[in-house]
Amino acid sequence: MISQVFILSSKGDHLIYKDYRGEAGSDVINIFYEKVTALTGDQPPVVMSHKDLHFIHVRQEGLYWVATTTAADSSPFTIIEFLNRLTALVKDYCGSLSEKSVQMNFALIYELLDEIVDYGYIQTTSSDVLKNFIQTEAVSARPFSLFDLSNVGLFGAETQQSKVAPSSAATRPIQSSREGGKSEIFVDVIERMSVVIGSNGVLMKADVEGEIRVKCYMPSCSEMRIGLNEEFSIGKSQLRGYGAAVRVDECSFHQAVRLDEFDSHRILRLCPSQGEQTVMQYQLSDDLPSAPPFRLFPTIERDTGGRLLMYLKLRCDLPPKSAAINVCATIPVPKGSVSLSQELSSPDQSAELKLQSRAVHWMIPRFPGGTQLSALFKLEVPGLSSASMLEVGPVGLSFELPKLTVTGLQIRFLRLSPIQPGPSQRWVRYVTHSDSYTIRI
Amino acid sequence: MCDFPFFSLVCTGEIFELKAELNSDKKEKKKEAVKKVIASMTVGKDVSALFPDVVNCMQTDNLELKKLVYLYLMNYAKSQPDMAIMAVNTFVKDCEDPNPLIRALAVRTMGCIRVDKITEYLCEPLRKCLKDEDPYVRKTAAVCVAKLHDINAQLVEDQGFLDTLKDLISDSNPMVVANAVAALSEIAESHPNSNLLDLNPQTINKLLTALNECTEWGQIFILDCLANYTPRDDRESQSICERVTPRLSHANSAVVLSAVKVLMKFMEMLPKDLDYYGTLLKKLAPPLVTLLSAEPELQYVALRNINLIVQRRPEILKHEMKVFFVKYNDPIYVKLEKLDIMIRLASQANIAQVLAELKEYATEVDVDFVRKAVRAIGRCAIKVEQSAERCVSTLLDLIQTKVNYVVQEAIVVIKDIFRKYPNKYESVIATLCENLDSLDEPEARAAMIWIVGEYAERIDNADELLESFLEGFHDESTQVQLQLLTAIVKLFLKKPTETQELVQQVLSLATQDSDNPDLRDRGYIYWRLLSTDPVAAKEVVLAEKPLISEETDLIEPTLLEELICHIGTLASVYHKPPSAFVEGSRGVQHKRLPGSAGSGESADSPDTGSAAGVSEAPPAVIPSQGDLLGDLLNLDLTPPTTSGPPPAPSSGMQMGAMDLLGGGLDSLVGLLHAAMGAGFGAPPTAMPASFPPPVSGGLDDLFDLGGSVGMPMGAYSPPKSIWLPAMKAKGLEISGTFARRAGVIQMEMTLTNKAMSIMTDFAIQFNRNSFGLAPAGPLQVLTPVGPNQSIEVALPLSTVGPVMKMEPLTNLQVAVKNNIDVFYFSSQYPISMLFVEDGKMERQVFLATWKDIPNDNEAQFQIKDCHLNSDAASSKLQGSNVFTIAKRTVEGQDMLYQSMKLTNGIWVLAELRVQAGNPNYTVMSRLVFVLTCSGANHKDYKTESREV
Repeated sequence: MISQVFILSSKGDHLIYKDYRGEAGSDVINIFYEKVTALTGDQPPVVMSHKDLHFIHVRQEGLYWVATTTAADSSPFTIIEFLNRLTALVKDYCGSLSEKSVQMNFALIYELLDEIVDYGYIQTTSSDVLKNFIQTEAVSARPFSLFDLSNVGLFGAETQQSKVAPSSAATRPIQSSREGGKSEIFVDVIERMSVVIGSNGVLMKADVEGEIRVKCYMPSCSEMRIGLNEEFSIGKSQLRGYGAAVRVDECSFHQAVRLDEFDSHRILRLCPSQGEQTVMQYQLSDDLPSAPPFRLFPTIERDTGGRLLMYLKLRCDLPPKSAAINVCATIPVPKGSVSLSQELSSPDQSAELKLQSRAVHWMIPRFPGGTQLSALFKLEVPGLSSASMLEVGPVGLSFELPKLTVTGLQIRFLRLSPIQPGPSQRWVRYVTHSDSYTIRI
Repeated sequence: MCDFPFFSLVCTGEIFELKAELNSDKKEKKKEAVKKVIASMTVGKDVSALFPDVVNCMQTDNLELKKLVYLYLMNYAKSQPDMAIMAVNTFVKDCEDPNPLIRALAVRTMGCIRVDKITEYLCEPLRKCLKDEDPYVRKTAAVCVAKLHDINAQLVEDQGFLDTLKDLISDSNPMVVANAVAALSEIAESHPNSNLLDLNPQTINKLLTALNECTEWGQIFILDCLANYTPRDDRESQSICERVTPRLSHANSAVVLSAVKVLMKFMEMLPKDLDYYGTLLKKLAPPLVTLLSAEPELQYVALRNINLIVQRRPEILKHEMKVFFVKYNDPIYVKLEKLDIMIRLASQANIAQVLAELKEYATEVDVDFVRKAVRAIGRCAIKVEQSAERCVSTLLDLIQTKVNYVVQEAIVVIKDIFRKYPNKYESVIATLCENLDSLDEPEARAAMIWIVGEYAERIDNADELLESFLEGFHDESTQVQLQLLTAIVKLFLKKPTETQELVQQVLSLATQDSDNPDLRDRGYIYWRLLSTDPVAAKEVVLAEKPLISEETDLIEPTLLEELICHIGTLASVYHKPPSAFVEGSRGVQHKRLPGSAGSGESADSPDTGSAAGVSEAPPAVIPSQGDLLGDLLNLDLTPPTTSGPPPAPSSGMQMGAMDLLGGGLDSLVGLLHAAMGAGFGAPPTAMPASFPPPVSGGLDDLFDLGGSVGMPMGAYSPPKSIWLPAMKAKGLEISGTFARRAGVIQMEMTLTNKAMSIMTDFAIQFNRNSFGLAPAGPLQVLTPVGPNQSIEVALPLSTVGPVMKMEPLTNLQVAVKNNIDVFYFSSQYPISMLFVEDGKMERQVFLATWKDIPNDNEAQFQIKDCHLNSDAASSKLQGSNVFTIAKRTVEGQDMLYQSMKLTNGIWVLAELRVQAGNPNYTVMSRLVFVLTCSGANHKDYKTESREV
């Protein structure tokens, strides 16, 4: 049971405060803020308590979303899920999440809070249900920006119909569609991979977590059919046909998804509610269909001048047509490293030594598949010993693989039925992120 | 106007302005004004002065405005109860509104106005709304009953709302059912004995049906309610499990975890041999793994719960080790939880993998994490015996890195490994000692000191090492001080001769110069133990320690059982029972797992959770650090992983402390001091067991002496050894030996004065002993002994003194007095000096007696490395009054038959076999009871004969 809900800015300003059960006063907000700011890094921030009151919070977009409870049997799981839903709802309703958008839409948020929780019992967080009750209009907090004019042609004329939606297209309040906004559907296939490659180059662990997310700006609910690869299979036993099967270990679906055509044709049917929802989640572990995207060949030695030499060759094993972007390799270096000199294989790369985190960051903005880059780092480490050589590594990589899913999951088609009146647009995006990509040295 | 129009300051003038706007005719303006009011309210400004004006805006058909006004009302009604009455009419009217949204809104808001006066107006509208045709209104009304119950429980009962609520459980709308269940559950909590939420198979069935239809949040209410139900038998339990299982694949992790809770609980009732039981176990793993792909916050909560589940049923996740490997970018609190679970899942099958991971972690950057990883390696060693060796070598590798905190952490865990596998890995001690200087954390220092103390006999310079710690004794933390005290006492008991000074020093530091009562008391206890009964001290301090086991850090089974019932709740995150963090306000019930059904299986599998099975389990678990000692006695400030004294001395310590407190504190302390100080001088007399005097070694010496032919024949006399060190006798050092010269037993002593002053007035006395030895005359020290002077004295002894059996038999306790003090020491005399000159037996008598002595009076042993022929041996022995009666040669073996007689008339007959070229002699000795002698037994003669 939730006793209070409040939203604080990162500086501790009270943005929203809602008391459901009258069990504690609003002074607990400050207590919470003191507690949360006093936390050190290794203390789990999830649940904190003050006398009889337990604070559970999540941080989203720099804001603290806090719920308090007094009942011992309330579930932190429920409350964290609820807070995550709340942030998603606020984002859906206000278009974006920020201190400003929360401030400007406080009346709307209070109205939401009233409907989704009653006396501490969570009632619903489905935007389909909520749209029947919510009266307040959202105030868009999007700042005026010249960049928004980018797809507006000369004299305001619409340029050629773009095949690419502007990146801001998916951040607007859902209700604006009521007033004749474009009816659009965005489908994102997002995968996160965590990989561990051993020092001998052997792939020790490779997990992929993926999800299909739908963001819907349709005024009325109509049925949507999402077709996945036909050779998509779940679990090891269930291989379908021959050839390049797309396989995942585990799969779970949003409760609104109907699976009657899934077994036979791999089609998900659902009536998307307005706003964002995760339609399907899946995991794959240890059995990637292709080689891991990056390989590292390090040589680490001490030169005669007592400096640490790191010669790194990084190979991208993606198909040649794809490319990784925003690649950043983090190489931990020995304690006491003072300075770094570098030789990089192309000018767009950069590298720097972060003393605070004791690591060299090697940044590669774009890394096409099938190519190889190299870098030579010379580190000045006073008193370098063989023991401190052990402190080098493991290398962590972060990157983004646009237009690519490592599992090979694709969306064959996206159909709306009945056919929507008026112009409607459907967008599909694929992206794979690195969750944790570690290469041991 | 600025960016945030609603957040500008509210000053008096502004309130005035708002008032005007609130009373405006224009709807838009009114709405904006109310918004401004609410914005001010949010940031904590007092806008209660506007109450009447805002309430005036209530009567509107604009739903948005109405909602805003209600929001304001909920906030301020409590502080303005009289004004709130003004709103009641509108509420009652709104409850009749044709729009269900408005009806629900009115009921909801009225319930939130926590003013007693309003409640009586609430009853009628509520009754209507509970029977409303619209489910949205009904579900809101159901919650309102709970609200009203909180304000006025009696009223709710009188009005019969509870029955209506119960009827709602059978409502057609699942949302209404869910809210009714939630409301009833809460009301039932405050009436623990009422049968409000009467769970019977029929209602359970209804709930299970609603479960499939209602929203995710409603499912949570229902699942939590189901978890409180106890099925009648395993069949019902199975059918509920079957219907709950589909929830495991829900996208909402809260639903998943509630379902897990229900399943974990009902699983207790299923017989383990059931196929379904295995299926269920398999089904539980994937959803738990899935939880780990959520946000870090949820992951953390999930891991805390998984930690409990793994302890209860490790089989669920035993194949999923890999998912708990930490990711580079996990937050530290997630990493630490994962490590914990990794250790719990570690087994022989996966230990290699786990260890490789842990070793990687130990080289990471994050200090806390690295420490925990090093600890984890130690815990693996303790848990999986087969891996211990590999763990130890991994730890040694880590110590080689010389990274300070890694070394310290490694030393702490190696100490635990020593405790688990004593006498197995001590070869690493040398490596540990190398790192002594780099230790700066109390725990690591204490661990190292423990190791040094525990293995003092294997570390040559243990006393130096400990002494180096002693220098900064007062700057150490209590943990280290206590450990140092114990370690030095251990050292003293093991190597008493060299460490007298050290132990005295530490005892006085602990007892006199410390403010810490624990330290002082422990010091006194040791002091008293050492001075009164060193044997007991040895038994206590060097007692065998219980082995630590991997269960040490498991949650105690009964608590675990309770926590399993609270999976998914706060208790599962804190790992504490709800009663520990909720004050009595709400009824806290101790939940228990249901007993298992199927009578036959509890016998072969006691861990199914039947109460009996659980209560049997705990004794095997050794209470972990400080659980028992610390909590029970509240004595040790520090967790005695570092092997504080075993419980016995602690309780003794407490008694001692009570003694102290009982009497006049100061005088008693003084007395104690004096007594102990005096007593402490005594230990040498009282410590025979721990000081094997250097007399033994006997026979070899004897034969060596005999080897040089020119030596005058005479009784063997061992070289002089120090009996009383100067340190313990205020400068008087006594070394001496015993000899038999011309038929007279003599004690030959060298008295050395190592003090600064002259010593005079020497006197000597013996304690009663086995052979009645007593000084035959006074100690002949005629001149005073100056500083650094020594004097030789020979004291003739008689054997007519009082007799008492000593242990060992030849022990002699001596008191020496001089002008300074009385000193006590003990020494052992060689039995050979008691052999009398007339010990030669007649041959016939010898033969007859030899045959008459029963076999159990016989002992046989070998004398090694004696390079004498039988004749030389015989003549040599004769000098010590061991007479050869006869000699036979059989198959190249010389057999000497010998006799000897003790001063008290006991005969010893022996057969000595000497084989030419074999340096080992075999002695078979038989003891004759000519006199019934006090307590002399064969065993003693065995040792004694060996010396000859």
